[in-house]
Amino acid sequence: MPRILLTTLLVLTALVLQVTVVNRLPVSVVPDFVLLVVIALGAIRGPVAGATIGFFSGLAADLLPPADHALGQHALVLCLVGFTAGRWAERWPLLTVAACAVVAPAFALAVSGLLGDPGIDLRTFEAVWPMAALVNLLAAPVVVWAVLKVYGPRPEKATAAAVPGWRRA
Amino acid sequence: MKDSRRSRLFLGLLLAVALVLITVDHRSENTPVFGPLRTIVTSAFGAVERGVSTVTEPIGGFVGALAGAQGSREQITNLKAQNSKLEGELSSQRIDKRRSAELQAMLGLSGLGGYKVVPAQVVARRASPGFEDAVEIDAGTADGIKPDMTVLNGQGLVGRVVRATASTATVVLLCDPASSTGARIENSGELGVVSGLGANGNSGRRIMFRLLDSTLPIAAGTRLVSFGSQQGVPYVAGVPIGVIEKVEATPGELTRTAYARPFADLSSIDVVGVVVEGPKRDPRDALLPPAPKPAAKPKPKPKPATSILPGQQAPPQIARPGTANPETGPGNTVPQNTRPENTAPENTAPENVSPEDTAPENVAPGNGPTTDRDDRGPAEPVRGRDGETSISDDEAA
Repeated sequence: MPRILLTTLLVLTALVLQVTVVNRLPVSVVPDFVLLVVIALGAIRGPVAGATIGFFSGLAADLLPPADHALGQHALVLCLVGFTAGRWAERWPLLTVAACAVVAPAFALAVSGLLGDPGIDLRTFEAVWPMAALVNLLAAPVVVWAVLKVYGPRPEKATAAAVPGWRRA
Repeated sequence: MKDSRRSRLFLGLLLAVALVLITVDHRSENTPVFGPLRTIVTSAFGAVERGVSTVTEPIGGFVGALAGAQGSREQITNLKAQNSKLEGELSSQRIDKRRSAELQAMLGLSGLGGYKVVPAQVVARRASPGFEDAVEIDAGTADGIKPDMTVLNGQGLVGRVVRATASTATVVLLCDPASSTGARIENSGELGVVSGLGANGNSGRRIMFRLLDSTLPIAAGTRLVSFGSQQGVPYVAGVPIGVIEKVEATPGELTRTAYARPFADLSSIDVVGVVVEGPKRDPRDALLPPAPKPAAKPKPKPKPATSILPGQQAPPQIARPGTANPETGPGNTVPQNTRPENTAPENTAPENVSPEDTAPENVAPGNGPTTDRDDRGPAEPVRGRDGETSISDDEAA
């Protein structure tokens, strides 16, 4: 129970600070701290928890005030990202976190494009994705370190035991 | 195996829920389920954002000062000057001062156009790639703000309100790809549509202008004002939008395309005004800042400027004589203008007898208010002058 509270608090803090402080910095590209927190939590907690955390963080991000997109867009993206981070972080932790941080902005763009949001085309990918991936990559170690600090290292061996079980399958 | 299957099932379930949410919400905005949910969550988060914003705003100001310095040499010198000042000054004080200058500029602009505005401050912003470019402001339905109202700041058009709760409102910016605005070329009746470029807008050209008449030439440097929608919803007429910087050759197309830079600095907006009531008459080009080519026939209506909401009545009135003085005091010989300014120094400084008797209106008002408002930005006095002269023209005629 305290873990759930801690997770909620962590995600909500990231959400609010992202829109009130980080996004308002007068620089063109900023890292997405909500995404990075979800990746870190997913990597620590495993796939199921990662997907759940991602889904509800995304839902909160969709509802967070300056919002004018379809409800569920962030939820879809972050759910999948949390699952991915939890699934492969056991084997290749660094690689998984980096890959998630890089691929997630592209995935978010792709979802927006598929939903028919105006102004999303291949040029947008070229203009946005490299920089977004880069700043996410730079900020990822800091966020993962901070989340590990708050959360403690992998809490139990249950997830570790689950992986061999998966391997047998 | 069991665990993995379970987890995949779970993932599939959550993804399906997300897709259902997207589908339902995409089809109809504010369905009976999502509308209230959004409203509740928005007001809750809005309150939190307001609180956090008040605590953390010096951070943004500080980083803003740092980041701005990289841009140009002029800004570096500015920053150096500021740095020396900063040693003895609290950063919060400086931010307050800047904010008050922004507010003055915004009220000056709205007074000029005869808009009734509610001032507000940006508390949160969203700008993740692939999503909307929107900000949250700290004024809501309690202040008379409704969806589809124009939002402007001291420089020009900012965007429009899309959603409002009791104490906060969501504003979609001009540069959002989903927003489009009717625009008119200055000094002419040629119409077009301005739409946001979102992430595609590079080097400050964040909006695209499509001129409906493809046979007309457009030159770089042409300025755009909002054309205004029916009954001012969602855009009122006459708000400066931006200046065209690049014209694209589009042979054979039905419209001409140009890229423009918005007057308002959309990457760092802070103080904005929401137009709760439009002007009775279209202010035409009067609100454009004076440029190489000054606007030909500025015709603002002076009356609505005085009938701004009770809370905001004082600032524009103070702002305009103050801003008008430093440059137009000597040049302005129309008696209607100089008379009220003349009475002000008399009241405040009665011991100053000799300049009042001997020197006429020109000298006295130039001294007093100018020193008070030295720290205002350089753009505002110029705009104030434009408005002042145009009013005098109107009254003299």
